[in-house]
Amino acid sequence: MIDKEQYTDVLVIGAGIAGIEASLMFSKADRKVHLVEKTSYTGGTAIKFEEVFSNMECSTCMMAPRQQELLQDKNINLLTLAEVEEVKGSFGKFTVKIHKKARYVDMQNCIGCNACFEPCPVSLKNEFEEGLSEIKAIYVPFAGALPNVPMIDTDHCLRFKGKDKDCKACQEACMFEAIDFNQKDEQLELKVGAIVAATGFNIFDSRKTPQYGYAKVNDVYTALEFERLYASNGPTEGNIVLKNGNAPKSAAIIHCVGRDEKGYCSSVCCMYSLKFNHYLKSKIPEIKISEFYTDLCIPGKSHQKFYEKMKETEVDMIRASDIEISKQGKGIAVKYINGNGKKNSLPVDMAILAPAIEPRDDASKLAKILGISIDEYGFLEEENRDDSSVAISEPGVFVAGCAQGAKNIQDSVSQSCAAVGKVLSSSKYREKN
Amino acid sequence: MKKKIGVYICECGPNIAEKIDIDKVIDAVSSLDGVAVVDRYKLLCSVDGKKFLEEQIKKQGITHLVVAACSPKQHEQTFMEVCINAGINPYLFQLANIREQCAWITEDKDEATKKAIILVKAAIGRVRYHDSLEKKEIECNPSVLMIGGGIAGIESSLLLASPDRTVYLVEKTSSLGGLITSFEKTYPNMQSCNSIKQKIENIYKNENIKVFTDSEVEEVLGFFGNFEVKVKRETEENEIDEFNVGAIVLATGSTLFDPDKIPRYGYGKIDNVITALEFEKMNLSGGILLKNNKPPKSVAIIHCVGRNEKGYCSEICCMYSLKFVRYLKDKLPDVKVTNFYSDLCIPGKSDQKFYEETKGKNVDFVRATDIEITKQGDKINIKYKNENNKNSLPIDMVILSPAVEPTSDASKLAELTSISQGDGGFFSEEHEKLSPISTSTDGVYIVGCAQGPKNISETIVQAGAATGKILSSLIPGRKIEPEVKTSQISESSCGGCKICNSVCPYGAITFDEAKRISVINEVICRGCGSCTATCPTGAAINKHFTFDQIYQELIEIVK
Repeated sequence: MIDKEQYTDVLVIGAGIAGIEASLMFSKADRKVHLVEKTSYTGGTAIKFEEVFSNMECSTCMMAPRQQELLQDKNINLLTLAEVEEVKGSFGKFTVKIHKKARYVDMQNCIGCNACFEPCPVSLKNEFEEGLSEIKAIYVPFAGALPNVPMIDTDHCLRFKGKDKDCKACQEACMFEAIDFNQKDEQLELKVGAIVAATGFNIFDSRKTPQYGYAKVNDVYTALEFERLYASNGPTEGNIVLKNGNAPKSAAIIHCVGRDEKGYCSSVCCMYSLKFNHYLKSKIPEIKISEFYTDLCIPGKSHQKFYEKMKETEVDMIRASDIEISKQGKGIAVKYINGNGKKNSLPVDMAILAPAIEPRDDASKLAKILGISIDEYGFLEEENRDDSSVAISEPGVFVAGCAQGAKNIQDSVSQSCAAVGKVLSSSKYREKN
Repeated sequence: MKKKIGVYICECGPNIAEKIDIDKVIDAVSSLDGVAVVDRYKLLCSVDGKKFLEEQIKKQGITHLVVAACSPKQHEQTFMEVCINAGINPYLFQLANIREQCAWITEDKDEATKKAIILVKAAIGRVRYHDSLEKKEIECNPSVLMIGGGIAGIESSLLLASPDRTVYLVEKTSSLGGLITSFEKTYPNMQSCNSIKQKIENIYKNENIKVFTDSEVEEVLGFFGNFEVKVKRETEENEIDEFNVGAIVLATGSTLFDPDKIPRYGYGKIDNVITALEFEKMNLSGGILLKNNKPPKSVAIIHCVGRNEKGYCSEICCMYSLKFVRYLKDKLPDVKVTNFYSDLCIPGKSDQKFYEETKGKNVDFVRATDIEITKQGDKINIKYKNENNKNSLPIDMVILSPAVEPTSDASKLAELTSISQGDGGFFSEEHEKLSPISTSTDGVYIVGCAQGPKNISETIVQAGAATGKILSSLIPGRKIEPEVKTSQISESSCGGCKICNSVCPYGAITFDEAKRISVINEVICRGCGSCTATCPTGAAINKHFTFDQIYQELIEIVK
């Protein structure tokens, strides 16, 4: 029998590409969606990319229409700077507590003109840009962020830190009375019937594999840092430059960083490493590129074609093990053992590491709140690994995207559509009217 | 009523303002015929910008609107909504893209400004000839045609069927289940495949699922929400069933590349060289045996058979080859297994663990190229290259792991449903990243290996995804809105040559024998313009791309 008191609203956690897709679909089916996002913006990790493989479409152009649609959708209640704190109840009848941090900028009044940034006396590292640039204590993390409304970082703002209680430089610069220091954090209670967790991933900390020289040797970058170096809205406006300001003449791309440590192949690194080859060649046509890999993992109907196209650009594909990166003169030396077991060394100007995809650092905390388990790698655990990967042992809770395991955008989107399918086809939802 | 054209130029923050001299653009277009107002604004898509535009339309009495801003992909919809809010028809509007097509790509500011002037003039030239177009609403049928009774079709059917939604499940073979019924176990959990039997039972028990086995789809007419389908049953009378559905799911699965096409693998010529599927069936039937009925002492598994020929990695072969090692070791503990592979592709989260646990005593992994299989006495000889060294290995049994490819009826079904086939002959998705399940035909979805090689878990995910797409868009009792910018054929100018009938990719044009003219079904028409382009008499026109509209736009650009 259908319980008449079932809640028809849905909670989606994470406003990355998977969460956005799921929310838009629920809305299309006339469900009210509460979309909870930890950061101040939508788009997740994919919004950091300039282009996506294998058609090299501009990622922002691909996502912006969806993000716009999300912001304009009256069925979707987007809660930024928000986190789930407690979940009680069961499928069809969850009660969820959300902690929503104050942004201190009014979403309605702000027009996104950015006039408030400049007068702010505080500078801090921009985490969105992987620390490669600085922002003020009131900021939007990148040009084109949606919603295009700044936030105040209360950990650094002089006023909130008590260092200068009277500072109101940003407020004075705002022509639209959008800055409100009196905003308060909110505790919200939502009643939802189902939950989709689409909380995304972190990348493996390359410091844990010191042989790659990350954070010790100059011009060794992680994949995400390099994405931002190439991004037209990034810290160098898309100019790929070394620390000394010159363009690199040679670069090494190191696949599988952290694979042994994590115990799995992250599925996307080979493809995005080949994409990096394209990034480098398009900006610096004369650059010499070497890709150091173990096994080329490029499954899918269109990926090998992409690889063959990249090979035409004369990239050196080197099957290697025991890679060690060190400083050599003004540059970098990549020492390795090649496929024939021979020791080699290659001098390069820049090295880019392709680190494993790993669970978000708060994945186990979220799992506990949702009453679900995490797997041996720390990802949210699906009910049955041989079967559909979106259902979870707790009925009414579904998982989509990299929160469940490393995967590409297409597979993430498929999972989010599937999570919607599972929710909407459930008998608990059938008789809404 | 006199036309009053309003032209509004967006600065897009610094995006356009810094690259184009907007004041020059304003000067250049202000005195054009019909132009009543020209103005600039810092960000027209912002809340305030939209309010400004809406107020301007009302206050100035604007009848036709031109916005010079970004790509129509970005904000055409935004400004059309502004038109509706301001009380003018949203099709009396034209967006000139002076950001992506101008500011962002033209380095020199003077050049960019000149180009922007041309683009804005072209938009003004065109918008004068725009007509109001009205939205339509049509009833839809929530039922679904599921083509393919494999795991994807079964999963999706079970999720979709309900008292207000019938699923017609059409399977061309005599039984449901597809390839998985030939498997003993699935990886990585090495779970028994018996659960498929329960699911098939559930299909037959479900009164909202109508199963057609030994059947093929013969005809698909219509459009999203209203497809008319004919299914032919392979009976003596070749019965034809006709029914209506709102959506179609293609879950036709895959077949394996025929290793016969690569003679150096010896398939079909040398005894005990078998394909992966033959091995699955042999294993399921209980006995892994050579032709002489003795168990093999040594087995080679050859990965990537046909990969080069097909031009893609089939994703699942490495993993199922590892599963075969498990089968072999379970049943023949002393057997020696050698895997010949090129690159190990084991991308799932527990795939590597599965590999590590499969490695071990008497299980070898050899990275090899130039594999050649020949007969050597009673045995088989495998010649191969390993890091430029030539080697050979005598072996009892060889299992070939061939590439995954679309089924032979894929082309026919693609044609019936007006979708295309892309890389490798698999059905093409609407968008590689964001719409992997949808196709170029509204309401036609592709799932499982018909869309591209994938494992069982990913297949079931896509089956769920198609379910989600259908349940969120095809809701019983709700109406759907077809394309507004359709084509139409003028009765008086149509010569009845039927060229348009043959070029329409959506099957939207029929021939009226009585009147001897072609007629467009505007509900199916997507406004692609193929008929307009081919019509020799100019009878076919697209309502939003008329001769005058296109001519006036072009003339401003070329003059």
